[in-house]
Amino acid sequence: MGGFGEATATGGAVTTRSSTRRGGRSAASWSDRHFHRLAVLPTTVVMLLVFGIPLLFSAWLSLEAWSPDQRLFGGRFAGWDNYRDLLTDPEFVSSLTLTLFYTAATVTTELLAGLGIALLLNIDLPWIGLFRTLLVVPMMITPVVAASCWKLLLDPDHGAINALIGQHIVWLGRPGTALLSVCVVNVWQNAPYVAILLLAGLRSLPHEPLEAASIDGASRWQVFWHVTLPLLKPYILVALLLRMIFEFRAFDNIYVLTSGGPANATMTLSMFTYLASFVRFDMSLAAASSWLMLLISLVMCLLFMAVVRRRDAT
Amino acid sequence: MAALSPVGSRRARRMKAGAVYVALAALTLVFLFPLLWIISLSLKTRLQMVSLSPLAPFWPTLENYAAVFSRADFGGAFVNSVIVSAFAVSLSLLVGVPAAYAMARFSFLGRNTLFFALLAMRMLPPIAVLVPMYVLFATLGLTTTRTAVVLAYTTFSLPLVVWIMRGFFEDLPRELEESAWVDGATRLRAFLHIVLPLIKPGLVAACILCLQLAWNDFLFAAVLTSNATRTLPVLMAAFSGGDTGVDWGGMTASGVLVILPVILFSFLAQRHLVAGLSSGAVKG
Repeated sequence: MGGFGEATATGGAVTTRSSTRRGGRSAASWSDRHFHRLAVLPTTVVMLLVFGIPLLFSAWLSLEAWSPDQRLFGGRFAGWDNYRDLLTDPEFVSSLTLTLFYTAATVTTELLAGLGIALLLNIDLPWIGLFRTLLVVPMMITPVVAASCWKLLLDPDHGAINALIGQHIVWLGRPGTALLSVCVVNVWQNAPYVAILLLAGLRSLPHEPLEAASIDGASRWQVFWHVTLPLLKPYILVALLLRMIFEFRAFDNIYVLTSGGPANATMTLSMFTYLASFVRFDMSLAAASSWLMLLISLVMCLLFMAVVRRRDAT
Repeated sequence: MAALSPVGSRRARRMKAGAVYVALAALTLVFLFPLLWIISLSLKTRLQMVSLSPLAPFWPTLENYAAVFSRADFGGAFVNSVIVSAFAVSLSLLVGVPAAYAMARFSFLGRNTLFFALLAMRMLPPIAVLVPMYVLFATLGLTTTRTAVVLAYTTFSLPLVVWIMRGFFEDLPRELEESAWVDGATRLRAFLHIVLPLIKPGLVAACILCLQLAWNDFLFAAVLTSNATRTLPVLMAAFSGGDTGVDWGGMTASGVLVILPVILFSFLAQRHLVAGLSSGAVKG
């Protein structure tokens, strides 16, 4: 990304020569002049169909009192009622704070673990490629399968975790341990993702500052803290924002492990919206809650764009 | 870049390398333990699962796999997953590759807007798109069809294709098609006959990464399918959903079968993984 304006031909700069030489092929030159428009047209149409129209419809839905037994546009205009209901609903508010807390906790842990793994994987040793390959596997596997697997690991009677620690803990049955379990599963699956991103960053760092610092007698810790980390900062920011965006919308693992329970201890916003729409079929309320999610995500998305642009500009 | 310091005796360096290997081996064990666990469970009989200690050695059996293969719902879900993923990826490639090319090569009004919209499409919460999509599809009579799932999957696979392919097009020297233009080839001809053959590795990478996302999706498929059209992840969730008498053997064996293709894919796509990842394209 970035470098938008530079080194790209404007519309039809090159066609002039060919059209003077073979004048009369106006059909070809028409399609040449409009080539980029024709090329982006299908994408634009699909985007409007599966993204633009649904979002506009959802915005409208969120301002209506609509239920699935009514005609599509047969609802009553409700103004901001859905949003007010949501923001005064203790269940929604606690879900919002839980999601923010959950996102902060998992992303922080993922970043720390990912950075550690990336630093280890960055050491040039024979067979290091094997470890790079193996450590990536958790992020690849189907989240539903990963969560089912962890559900069995955490099983109070026959699970490996209780067998290893020699205790009988009902991990997913109590609010505190359930939230902890959900966090651990997500960190397990996504720390490798951060590690791969940061490893790519570490591999692309310039050698000179690192060598200069160690020649000047800086300890390894000083080099890491004062040279490597600042150089790595753009990559860390990208990983941070990406993980925030994706953890904020966490759903699959939570659905399989706890479905938001016990006692709403793992009720993230995605889970809340899912239950509101596809279990209680309160589509208008779900539309309102999904628009609040959209706005929060959009802020993170804009931050991400800004960070990437600045990184590519330097 | 060797992080092991070049100074110090040979012996000290060997010690350090050994410590790094031990740390890496421990990490790998921790990260792969859940996988080893599900594989080992899938090779146990029902009796062994309940009577033996979870960590005790056992004599492996393939009876769970035989049972899974004889189930009609697993085969059906497998076929659905293949069909839905293949169509979603083909559609996204067909629609997205020309757009990626245009965005990499030409500057035009609205290009940045289009690009940001694609980014947002990939990053905004899928549930937010799914709620209105479900209502609209229900009105059109499309819910519980594979068409609905394929259309829904384009919300993530189309941006992924455009993003990855744009990077590949930008890395390709522009002189190639410019000389073709000068020789009188139309833009379309130059794109189809000169650029596309050179960009094959990119197409493969985009294809694999999209297939993986489509194969792994649960949320869209869970809402938009019925028992007849459900995909493997939906079937898996149904397996582990029931609180009474979860069929551990069937669940673990089918789980292993579901993740086998994605793990193979990930090894195939490893070279391209970083490119896709740093664009924020993979996973969700």
